[in-house]
Amino acid sequence: MTTSILGLFQQPEPAADAMDGLKEAGFELGTFDVLTGTPYPEGAFGEHVPQHRLFRFPAFGAIIGFTLSIFLTAATQLAYPMVTGGKPILSIFAMLIIMYEMTMLAGVIATVIGIIFESRLPNLKPGVYDTRITEGWIGVVITFDDESKVADAENVLNKAGALEIKHA
Amino acid sequence: MQQRRELDQVYTNRKLLNGQLDTPKWWAPTVAILGIAVILGLFVIATMINKGLGVTGLARPVYWGLFITTFVFWVGISHAGIMISAILRLTQAEWRRPVTRAAELLTVFSLLTALVFPLIHAGRPWRIAYWILPYDFARGIYPNIRSPLIMDPVAISTYLTGSTLFLYVALLPDLGNLRDRTTGWKNAMYTVLALGWRGNPRQWKMQTVGGILLSALMLPIFVSVHSIVSWDFAVASAVEGWHSTIFAPYFVIGAVHSGVSAVVTMMALMRWLWGWDDFIRPEHFDALARLLIVVATGWLGFTFLELIFALYGQDAPEIALREMQILTWPWNLLFIIFLLTGYLIPVPMWLFKRVRTNIALMFWTSILVNIGMWLERFLIIVPGLARRTPFVYTWEAYRPSAVEWTILVWSFAWVTFLMLLFSRFFPLVPLFEQKESQVFTDDVMIGRAKVPAIVREAE
Amino acid sequence: MASEAVAHASDHHAPPPNVDANVVAKELIASTTNASARFKTIVWILGILGIIGIVSLILKWIDQGDDSTKWGYVASLVSFLLAVCGGAPMVAMAPVMAKANWVRPITRLAAMFSFGSLVTIIMLIPLVALLPPLVYEGTRRRSIWFEAPDYAPHIWSVIGLLLLFITGLMLFYSAAIPDFASMRDHSTGWRQRWGKRLARGWVGTDIQWRTLRMRIGMFGTFYFLILVFVTFLISTDYGQSVIPGSRDAIYPMSLTISSFQGGVAAIVIALYFSRKWMNLEKFVHLDAFWSLSRLLFALTLLWVYFFYSSFIVFWYGRSANDIATLDLLIRGPMVYAFIAGAILIWFIPWWILIWNRVRRGTTAMVVGAFIILIGLMLDRIRYFVSAWSVPQDQIHQKWLKVIPETYFPNVYDILIIIGGISLAAMLIMLVTRVIPVLSVWQVQEFNLLAKPIRYVRGHATLVAKPD
Repeated sequence: MTTSILGLFQQPEPAADAMDGLKEAGFELGTFDVLTGTPYPEGAFGEHVPQHRLFRFPAFGAIIGFTLSIFLTAATQLAYPMVTGGKPILSIFAMLIIMYEMTMLAGVIATVIGIIFESRLPNLKPGVYDTRITEGWIGVVITFDDESKVADAENVLNKAGALEIKHA
Repeated sequence: MQQRRELDQVYTNRKLLNGQLDTPKWWAPTVAILGIAVILGLFVIATMINKGLGVTGLARPVYWGLFITTFVFWVGISHAGIMISAILRLTQAEWRRPVTRAAELLTVFSLLTALVFPLIHAGRPWRIAYWILPYDFARGIYPNIRSPLIMDPVAISTYLTGSTLFLYVALLPDLGNLRDRTTGWKNAMYTVLALGWRGNPRQWKMQTVGGILLSALMLPIFVSVHSIVSWDFAVASAVEGWHSTIFAPYFVIGAVHSGVSAVVTMMALMRWLWGWDDFIRPEHFDALARLLIVVATGWLGFTFLELIFALYGQDAPEIALREMQILTWPWNLLFIIFLLTGYLIPVPMWLFKRVRTNIALMFWTSILVNIGMWLERFLIIVPGLARRTPFVYTWEAYRPSAVEWTILVWSFAWVTFLMLLFSRFFPLVPLFEQKESQVFTDDVMIGRAKVPAIVREAE
Repeated sequence: MASEAVAHASDHHAPPPNVDANVVAKELIASTTNASARFKTIVWILGILGIIGIVSLILKWIDQGDDSTKWGYVASLVSFLLAVCGGAPMVAMAPVMAKANWVRPITRLAAMFSFGSLVTIIMLIPLVALLPPLVYEGTRRRSIWFEAPDYAPHIWSVIGLLLLFITGLMLFYSAAIPDFASMRDHSTGWRQRWGKRLARGWVGTDIQWRTLRMRIGMFGTFYFLILVFVTFLISTDYGQSVIPGSRDAIYPMSLTISSFQGGVAAIVIALYFSRKWMNLEKFVHLDAFWSLSRLLFALTLLWVYFFYSSFIVFWYGRSANDIATLDLLIRGPMVYAFIAGAILIWFIPWWILIWNRVRRGTTAMVVGAFIILIGLMLDRIRYFVSAWSVPQDQIHQKWLKVIPETYFPNVYDILIIIGGISLAAMLIMLVTRVIPVLSVWQVQEFNLLAKPIRYVRGHATLVAKPD
C-alpha cells in the first residue's frame, strides 16, 4: 500500500533544505518531489531533473502527417483526373502546400499529446495536495512503499521548518 | 524595461481571477446586448442564405467584395496571437507575460469568425463540403488540390486546431489554480479540465519546453496561413493588381501589423474593464508600440515595393489600375485614409514615449491602424476587380449593401461576445506566467544604480 | 565540437565565470600584436590571391570589356560580397537594439566586415561601365528609373554602395572609440599613436558614453536602411532589369534576407576561428553560438519561404512572362546550379541546424555556415549569370522569347571570384591587427551585466537590463 505525505513551506530556501535532508536520509530520487504554483529555475530545489522524450513526438507526428498527406493529395487527384489551368494531374508544387500543412498539423497534435503524456497527465489519482500551493506555498511530497519510513520523513520535514504536514 | 514590482501570489490570484470568481457587474448586461446583436446578425445571414447573394452589392465584375475583405481582415487579426506568443516566447521577452493568453485567444476567435465569411460568401454553404472534403459524395468527384481555394481551408483549419491546442496546453496550470479556488460544479469542471495538474518539476518543465517547441512549430504555420490566403489572389494572372510575387510576405507583415494593433486595443480594454492596472502596465504598451514601429515600417517598405514593381513593368493595364486605385474618386479618398490611418498618423505618434505609455492614445491609434488595414485589403480586392477589362460585357460599380455592412458589424460583435464568454470561465492573463515573472526577475546593484534583471537558466 | 559540447553538457547548470575587466583589456589588446605564424601565412596567401583577382579583373575588362553577357560571374560576386560584408554588421545591430546581452562581445567582429565592402565597390566598377543602357534604339527596358534620367541607374548604385561603405565604417568607428582609447593607454608603438589619434580624447565621461550609444543607434539605423536600399538597387538594376519581362517584386527582399543569412554565417565562421586561434574562449561563450544558430536557422527557413512565395506565383501564372522567367532562372541552363544552391543554402543547413545538440556546439555550426555561404554563391550565380547572359538587343523585349545559352566561367572569372573573396577576408583580418577583434568595452559590459548566481540550489545567470 503506497502512502504519501506533503510538507508545506512558504519560502523556497527551507523547501530546498527539506529536499537536501531527504536525500541525506537515504530516500531514493524519484520518491520525493516538489510542488510549486509557478515554475522555478531548473534545479532550484536540488530536485531530480526530469528526463523527457518530448522531441520525439513532433518528429513521429510529422512523419505520419507527411505520409498521409502524400497519399491524400495524390489519391484525390488520381481519383478525379481533371486537368485544370494546364497543370499536370500530380502537381508537386501545389501538393507541397497541402503536404506541408498536414505535416505541421500532425506535428502539433503529436506535440500536444507529448506534452500531456510527458507531464504524466491525465492524473486520475493526484494524491496528497494542498490548494495553497497555487497561492505561492511550496509543497514537498514523499511517496512510500514502506510505512516505517513515514516518521523519518516527517522528521526531515519538521527539521527543515515545514509549516504543516498533510497525510494521504 | 519592465519595472520590477513585488506582487503577492494571493493578490495575483484574486485580481486575475476576478472574471471567474466574482464576475464584474457590467459583464451580464454587456454579454446580453452583444448576444442580441449576434442573434440579429445570424438572422441577417440566414435571410441572405435564403434569398441568395442578390441581396448583396456583388455584381459583375466585382465578385469579391466586403465579405472577402473582412475574411482577409480577420485572418490578419488572427496573426497577433502566434506572433506575440511564439516569437516573444522564443526570444524570451519578459514583457510578453500578460499578453500571451489574450493574443492566442484572439487568434482562435478571429479565425472562427474569418471562416464564416467564405462560407456564407459561397451562397449555399453546405455545398462547400463537396469541394473541400476528400470524400466521394457523387460521381467520383474529388477536391482539386491545385486550387488555392482548397489550400486555404486546409491551412486555416490547421492553424485553428494548432492554436486551440496551444491555448489549452498553456491553460493547464491556470485550470489547476481555478480548481483550487472553486467549489461545486465549477470545481468539478475545472478538475476535469486540469487533468490532475499538481505543479511538479516535470510538469513545469513540459510547460516550458513544450511551450517553446509548440511556438517553433506554430510559427511556420502562422506564416503559411496568410501566405496561402494571399495566393488566393496572387496566383490569378488575370487580375493585374493581384499577380505579384510579393503578396505572401506582404500579407503576412500586414497581418502582423493589424494583429499586434488589435492586441493593443484588447489590452487597453482589459486593463480598463477588469482593473488590471498592476499587471498590464504602461511599459507593456511601450514595448508593443516599439515592436509596432518596426513592423509598420517593414510593412510600409513592402507596400512601396508592391507599388513600385507594379509600375516597373510599364504595362498599360497595371498603370491604369494604379491610377484608379490612387488617383480616381472615390478610391483616392480611401487610399488617403488608408495611408493616414495605417501609418502616417500612428507611427510618428508612437515615436514619442509619452504616447507609447499613454494607454488611451495607444488604444485609439491601434484602432486607427485596423481601420487602415481593413481599407488596405479593400483597396487590393475591389479596385483590382472593378477595373474595366477587355472582355467584360456588363460592368457596375460595387456598392456594398446594408446586408453586407450588417454582417461586417456582426463579426465584431461576435468576436467580442466570444471573448467575454471565455473570460467568464478562464483567465485572460496567464497567472502562472505572471507569477513566474516574479520568480525570474530581480534587481541588481551596479554601483549605486538599481537595475532590473532577469534570471536566465543555462541553456 | 564533441569535446566542447560534452564539457558543456556535463556542466550543464553552471554558467561560465566572468572575467576581470583588467584581464579583458590586457589580453584583448595583446591579441592585436601576437599574430601567429599561421595567421601571417594566411594573410599572405589571401593577399596574393586578392592581387591575382584584381589583375584578372583588369585583364578581363581589357579582353571582354565589349560583351556584357560575359560578366555574370562578376555581378554574382558583387551581390555575394554585398550580402556577406554588407549583411554581417547588420546582424550585430539588430540584437543590440533588442538589448540582447550575448551579442555585445561580437559586435566588433560583425562591424569589421564593413571593410570588406571596399572589394564590393572595386568589383562593381567594370559592371557600371558594362551595364546596358536603359534606352536602346528608342525602346526603354523595364526599370525602376521610369523616365530613364541621365546617369541612372549607374550613378545611384555607386553612390549607394559608397554610402553603405562609409556608414559601415562610421558604425565601426563610433563603437570603437573607447577601444582606441584602451589602445592609447595600454599598447605601444604605432598602435599607441594611432589609438591616441583615433580615440579623440576619449576618457569615458557620462556624456561621452551617452553620445556613443546614440551614435551607434543612429548609424545602425542608417546602415540598415541603406543596406536594404542598396540591395534593392543592385538586385533590380543589375539583376532583374536585364531580364526582359521579369517582374519579381519580392526579389529585393529575398536578397536582403539572404544577405542577413550570409552575414550570420560569415560571423559564425569568423567567430569560430578567432575564438579558437586567438584563445578568446573565455570572452565569448558558447551561448553566443547558440543564439547565432537560432538566428541562422530562422533565416534559413525564411530563404525557402521567400523563394517559394515567388516561385509559386510564376508557376501558377503561366503568362509568357512567367514561363520565360522560370525557364531562364530555374528550369533552364541553370537548373543544376539552382538545385545545388537550394540544397546547400536551405536543405542541408536546415537539417544540420535543427538539432539542439549541434546548435550547442561549434564545429557542426561552422560546417553549416560554410555550406550556406557556398550555397549563397551558387544561388547568386544562378540568378545573375542567367540575367547577364541575355544579349543586349533582347533586353528591351516584353518577354524573353529565346532562352540564351549560359556562359561558363573562364579562368578570369574563377580567379576574380576567388581573389575578390580572399581580398575581403584579408582586409578584415588586417583590421584585427589595429584593434582587438572583440570589443574590449563591450566584453567588459557583458561581464558587468551578466552575473552567474545560485538560485536557491540551482545555477543561473542574472542578466541586468538597463534602459
